[in-house]
Amino acid sequence: MTTAVTALSTSIQRRIGRQKLRKFILGAIPFVFLLVIWQMNTAFEWLPPVFIPPMGDVFGAIITLQEDCIGLIGAITMHNSCSMTNNIFSSMGRVILAAVIGLPLGIAFGIIAGMNRTASKFLEPIGVFANSISGIAWIPLAIVWFGVGWLTTLFIMLNTIFWLMFFNSMLGVRGIAKVYEQSVLTMGGSRMDVIRHVYLPGAMPSIITGMRMSMGFGWRALIAAEMVGGDSGLGFMIFTASEEFKIEEVFLGVIIISIIFMATDRYFLAPLEKWTIERWGLVWKPT
Amino acid sequence: MNAMTAKLVVEGLCHHYPDEYTGESVHALEDINLELYEGELVSVVGPSGCGKSTLLNILAGLLPYKVGKASVDGKVIEGPGPDRGVVFQEHAILPWRTVSRNIGHGLEIRGLPKEEISRRVQEYVDLVGLSGFEDKYPHELSGGMKQRCAVARTLCADPIVMLMDEPFAAVDAQTRITLQEELNRIALATKKTILFITHSVDEAAFLADRCLVFSARPGRLKQIVTVDIPREKRIWENMNADAEFIRCRDEILRLVREEVSVAIEE
Amino acid sequence: MQSKSKGPSLAWRFQRLLQIDAMNLVILIIGVYIVWSIISALIDNPARYLPSPIAVALSSVDMLYKGLLPSYFGDTLMRLISGSIIGLAVGIPFGLVLGINRTVADMFHPIMNFFQSVSGIAIFPIVVIWWGNSDKTIFAVILYTAFFPIAFNVLSGVREIPIRYISAARTLGASRFQVIKDVLLPGAMPHIATGSRLSIGFAWRAVIAGEMLAGQQGLGWMIFTGQDADRTAEVVLGMMLIGVTWIILDHYLLRPFEADTIERWGLVQR
Repeated sequence: MTTAVTALSTSIQRRIGRQKLRKFILGAIPFVFLLVIWQMNTAFEWLPPVFIPPMGDVFGAIITLQEDCIGLIGAITMHNSCSMTNNIFSSMGRVILAAVIGLPLGIAFGIIAGMNRTASKFLEPIGVFANSISGIAWIPLAIVWFGVGWLTTLFIMLNTIFWLMFFNSMLGVRGIAKVYEQSVLTMGGSRMDVIRHVYLPGAMPSIITGMRMSMGFGWRALIAAEMVGGDSGLGFMIFTASEEFKIEEVFLGVIIISIIFMATDRYFLAPLEKWTIERWGLVWKPT
Repeated sequence: MNAMTAKLVVEGLCHHYPDEYTGESVHALEDINLELYEGELVSVVGPSGCGKSTLLNILAGLLPYKVGKASVDGKVIEGPGPDRGVVFQEHAILPWRTVSRNIGHGLEIRGLPKEEISRRVQEYVDLVGLSGFEDKYPHELSGGMKQRCAVARTLCADPIVMLMDEPFAAVDAQTRITLQEELNRIALATKKTILFITHSVDEAAFLADRCLVFSARPGRLKQIVTVDIPREKRIWENMNADAEFIRCRDEILRLVREEVSVAIEE
Repeated sequence: MQSKSKGPSLAWRFQRLLQIDAMNLVILIIGVYIVWSIISALIDNPARYLPSPIAVALSSVDMLYKGLLPSYFGDTLMRLISGSIIGLAVGIPFGLVLGINRTVADMFHPIMNFFQSVSGIAIFPIVVIWWGNSDKTIFAVILYTAFFPIAFNVLSGVREIPIRYISAARTLGASRFQVIKDVLLPGAMPHIATGSRLSIGFAWRAVIAGEMLAGQQGLGWMIFTGQDADRTAEVVLGMMLIGVTWIILDHYLLRPFEADTIERWGLVQR
C-alpha cells in the first residue's frame, strides 16, 4: 500500500517536472525562431540593416555606448562617458524616487479621502478626471512649468503614480464593510486604531493592485516623458538614437526597457500581489 | 435571580429616523424601558422591523439617540466604548488577523502587555473550543467557528454588558444548536450580563432568563416572559420534554404571532 | 451576481446620474473653478504658466471659430476608433486560438509577455525609422498597445469555460466550428468585454503619445505645439478635452457595455 502511494507521488512529481520542462521548451521555440529569422535577415538582407540591425551590432552598441567608460567605478559614479549605464541609472533613479514619494503620498491621501464617505463622493470625480487625463497628456504642461529635464520627467511619473494610488486606496477603504470599523469602535478603539487595524489592512489588496498598476503605467509614462521632455534616461536614449538613425542603439534600449519592466513586475510586484491575496484572501470583499 | 444590581438601564427610549427613499420619519422605537441585572441573559424577540437591531445599535453607541436615557453601570451611553461588547450578526472578526490576534484585539487596543494578552487569549480560546485554530485566518474557518471566535473576542475584552445581535442567524441549523448550547455553557461559566437579540422563538426561550417580546413597528415592549429553568439543565435533548420550556416557548410564540398578524393586516 | 435578466438601460442610468450626482458635480466644478481662478490670478505671467479658466474658454472659442478644434478632435477620434477596431479584430481571434489549444498557448505565452513589456510607446523610435513621422507610425503604436490586453483576456476567458460545456456540445454532435461559435465565444464574452475596454484605454494613451511624437494633427499634437508656441491656454484646453472625452467614452459607453455583457453572458451559476 505505502509503496504504491510513494510510487504514485514520485510519478506525479516527475510529471510536474516534465510539465515545466515542456512549457519551457515550447515557450523557447518562438524566441529561437525569431532569433533565427533575425540572423537570416542579416545574412540575406531581406530588410536592409537600416531597418533591422544585425544582432551583433545591437550587442556591439553596448560597447560603443560604454566606450570610454572607466570600468565599473566609472559606471557607478555616473561618469559622462558611460552613456548607457548613465541612462539606465537615471531612469531607475526617477522610478525609485517617484515610487518612494508617490506611493506613500497616494496611499495616505487615498485613505483619508476614503474615510470620509461624503468627502470621497466629491474626491472621486477628481480622481476619475485626473486618471482620465492620462499621464502622458501632462507632458506639455510639465515642460512649460519645469522646462526640459529631470523635474519634468519626475513630475510625469509622480503624477501618474499618485492619482492611480490615490484612487485605488480610496476605493479600497470605501469597499471595507462598515461592521469591521464598528467592531473596533465597540471595543473602545480610537480613530487611529480604526485606521491601523481596519482601513490599512482592509484596503491592502486594493493598494497592492494599485501599486502594480501605477508602476506599470508610471514606467510607460516615464519613457514617453523622457522622449518628449527629458535630457537623460532610456526614453531619451532611444529617441535621440532614432533621430540619428542609430537603429542598433534603439533596439538595445528597447530590450533593456522591457527587461527592466518585466523583471520588476514579474519578480517583485506580481509575487507581492499574489502574496497579499493569498495571505488574506479576497474573501472579505463586500458582497 | 442571583444578583440585584442593574447593569444596563434604559428609560423612556424613543427613536425616529428619516426613511432613505421617501424621507418620511420612521417610528422605530417607542418608550422602551428595561433593566438588565448582573449575570442575567435577556433575549429580545419580535417580528422583523420591530426595532430590535435599532435598540442594539443605540446601546452599542453606534446610533445616536435623542429621547430617553440609556446607561451602563450608571454611565450614560454617549458612543461606542469597551464597557459594552458587541457580537455582530455578520462575521465581523477581522479577516486580516489570526484567530488569537482577533480575540486579543480588545486587550491590544487597551494597551495590555503581550504576555498578559496571550495568557487571557488562551483562556478564551479554550473556553469557546477553538484550540488548535489559534493561528488560522478567518477565511480558513467554518461559519460556526467564526462566530465562536467573535464571541471569544467580545468576552476577552471583558465588557460589563455583552450585546449580541442575532449572532447565530447566518450559520446552518445544526451548528446553531451547538452554538446555543455553548453560549449557555459560557453564560454559566462566566456569569456575563448579556442582551441577546434574535428572531428565533426557540433560541430566545432556550437561552433567556427573561425574554422581552417586542411589538411590531413602532417597537414597544409588549410583554416579559420569565424562563425559570436552571442553566445546568438547559440541553436541547431535554428541552422537548421540559414542561417549563414548552410553556415559555408557546407563550412567546403566541405573542410574536399576534404581532406578525397585526403587521400583515396593516 | 445578480439574477436580473437585463441591466438597467442607458437612459435610466443617465437619469440617475442627473438626479444624484449632478448636484455634487456642480458644486465640485464651481469649487475647482474658484480655486483655479485664484491661483492663476496670484501667479506671475498666468498666460504662460496657468491661464485662467476664462482664458481657456476663450481659446476654445477661438479654435472652434477657426475650425481647428473639431478637426483635431475628429482626427484623434478616428485614429482611436480605427486603431481599436483593428486591434480587437486581430487580438480576439488570436486569443481564441491560444485559449483553445494548450500547446499553442504554452508556446506563445512567454513571447507575448516579453513583447507586452516593451510598452507601445517604446517601439515608437523603431517604427519611426521604418515609416517616418506618418500616420502609419502612429497606427503601428496603437495596434501594438491595443493588441495585448484583449488577446490575454480572451485567452483566460476561453480557459475558464468549464470543460463540461464543451463536452456537452460535443456529445450533441457539434462540430469544432460550432463549439467555437456556440460555446467558446459566448462563454468568453465577459472577458472579451473587459479586454476590449482595457485595450481601448491603452489605445487612447497611445494615440495621444503617438500624435505628440510623430507630429500628426490631433489633440496630442495640439497640446504639444501649444507648448512649443507658448500658447498654454491651448495646452490646458487640450488636456481637459482629453480627460472629458475619455470619461464620456469610458463611463457612458465602455463600462455600461462591459457591465451589460457580464450580466447577460456571465455564467451566473458558476
